[in-house]
Amino acid sequence: MRNKVVPALAALVLGSTLAACGTPGSSSSGAAAETIKIAIIPPSSGALAQFGSDSAKGWQYAVDEVNAKGGIDGRKVELIKKDTDATSATTLRAAREAVTQDGAAFIGGVMTSTENGALNQQLAGLNALSFNSLGKDDALTGKDCTGNAFRTVQTNLMDVNALAASLKTLPGDKWAIQAVDYSTGHSAAAVFTQAAKAAGKQVVLEQYAPLNTTEFGSYISKLSSSDADALFAVEYGADGVAFVNQAAQFNLPAKFESVLGFNMVSEPLFPALGDKIVGFYNNVGYDIAANNALNTAFVQGYTQKFGSKPYYVVADAYLAAETLFAGIRKAGSADPAKVRDALNNLTFDSIAGQVTMRAGDHQLVRPSYLGQVVKDGSGLAFKIIASADGAQTTPQADPACKL
Amino acid sequence: MNFAQLLNGVAFGSLLMILSSGLAMIYGLRGVTNFAHGALYMAGAYLAYSVSTNFSFWLALIVAPLALAVLGAVLELVFFRRLEHRSHIEVGLVTFGIALVLERVIVLIWGERTLAVSAPGGLGGTTSVFGVAYPTYRLLIIAVAVVLAAALVWWLRGTRLGLHIRAASRDGETSAILGIDSDRVSLVVVCVGAALAGLAGALAAPYVSVDPGMGVSILINVLIVVVIGGAGSIAGAMIAGMALGIVQTLGAVLLPSLSVLVPYIALVAVLLWRPAGLAGKGVAR
Repeated sequence: MRNKVVPALAALVLGSTLAACGTPGSSSSGAAAETIKIAIIPPSSGALAQFGSDSAKGWQYAVDEVNAKGGIDGRKVELIKKDTDATSATTLRAAREAVTQDGAAFIGGVMTSTENGALNQQLAGLNALSFNSLGKDDALTGKDCTGNAFRTVQTNLMDVNALAASLKTLPGDKWAIQAVDYSTGHSAAAVFTQAAKAAGKQVVLEQYAPLNTTEFGSYISKLSSSDADALFAVEYGADGVAFVNQAAQFNLPAKFESVLGFNMVSEPLFPALGDKIVGFYNNVGYDIAANNALNTAFVQGYTQKFGSKPYYVVADAYLAAETLFAGIRKAGSADPAKVRDALNNLTFDSIAGQVTMRAGDHQLVRPSYLGQVVKDGSGLAFKIIASADGAQTTPQADPACKL
Repeated sequence: MNFAQLLNGVAFGSLLMILSSGLAMIYGLRGVTNFAHGALYMAGAYLAYSVSTNFSFWLALIVAPLALAVLGAVLELVFFRRLEHRSHIEVGLVTFGIALVLERVIVLIWGERTLAVSAPGGLGGTTSVFGVAYPTYRLLIIAVAVVLAAALVWWLRGTRLGLHIRAASRDGETSAILGIDSDRVSLVVVCVGAALAGLAGALAAPYVSVDPGMGVSILINVLIVVVIGGAGSIAGAMIAGMALGIVQTLGAVLLPSLSVLVPYIALVAVLLWRPAGLAGKGVAR
């Protein structure tokens, strides 16, 4: 066994080292026509597949747009798409392949916090930068932060702090928490519990369902028989749809004064969930109505191209691309080390308004919102009822992060 | 623990029961571990989505099993019959490939997006059962499963075709010598097995969400049910399906952190305690 592993590892290390030496060397050797390669690794199967393909669309739109304008400082951008099943092992394999064989120096579209955490530890060895527009676990820009990893989506803490700021005004004093049993669910629940206490509210029940749970009956019966008068739910994708539908069949929402979702209800699920979610509260990461020229152009162009309006997964991927492009422009180079340095404390205009990439933890400082689902013509839409600035939701870099 | 939790277990158990009885039938007669069963179930759910969106859910309950029975006929005629004399593991691998292809085709037709099917009119709310307000739709699933179990038992025990199926399952060669048309029996069994998967899928559509991962996630449960029940035993699979549904649901209430392991623990326990499964008919059939 060992005899086989050692040469394989040696080959791998050698491969990545060679590629690491090769890529920046060739780009700095000057040809302005050198293509900038970005690998995206979104899940293509399982509960998160839809978010994966939408994230890919956001990246694709950004790349097509910048190429149509002649590229970045004359350099064309190429997107390399890899598949994963949202497990760390597959994602890492795809990342290594993209960097060592396809020559990508930048990585995006990695979905879960667990995958991003595993990838972050490999980035220095690969000499690649990652732009995380999906994994919201705080540790990624906290104790697990690394110099080559940048996050453009809000952290759980930012979003929950934004909810916390308005938690006082939401009806209900005794809250139950129903969350998915992996890192994002647990950290969201922890942050919420803290925020609830600060707002003078109680958490009376806390339960976790494994990812890919389809039968929520036992959890819902527990919620029904608890004395909670409000619900905080962290269930995504197919799990979220199953939970909301089954809860409606149990007539559960009628028991609560507020149902506050965390990443639970979002625009792509509106048709599947229908009127039963009218009145639900949820965090909103991207305000489609944000009043700035870049956003207006993005919403218009994207809608024209894909026939549907962008929502947070698409917009966050686009924002990740905007961030990378801003870094490359500032650096005047596509060398990962130079781009990394250029991004530190870089402030630029984006679809989310003026945003800053904080040097201390590589977290993009941008606003978070609280929305409520309302009827909008024949469909549904979010009404933004509160917003919180990035500087307010996370005033400073996580002290646990040592870059 | 309360009555509602028990009903949750029975409802989930009912779904597993319908699904695993079809798988057990195919295994009993063909000796094939049909890894495509999850994909057949998924196809039933997606068909139910389209039919219930455009026409009615009740029509979907008829159309999905019929369409799946046709698919079952194709499986039998194109694959199982031709591969009859090959080793079981090879045929099992072929069904695994069929599952992958079928799942991909479904995603190409219906997309990756999670879909939801509303419970049919009048069954969307709750009904009081011994003072517990319980979703009416779940009660329907339980009722269908009970009726179906009774019908299957009657069919297998009380009809001539049922007799032939039992004989062919027990010893294919001898039953053929005695004049039972084993090709016809196989065709019927695979069609009925696939139709049951389609029915389970259609029933599951308003119950769980319809998404590309649904087939894989239930397949493991159903395979465990069939092994626990006694490979090939339909009655064993039905009892094991119901038992696993209840144990798993109550496990999620009492030992939330261990609930994921419950099916596997049950599997290991049964294999150690009664290697031939609960029904104990023996792997030799």
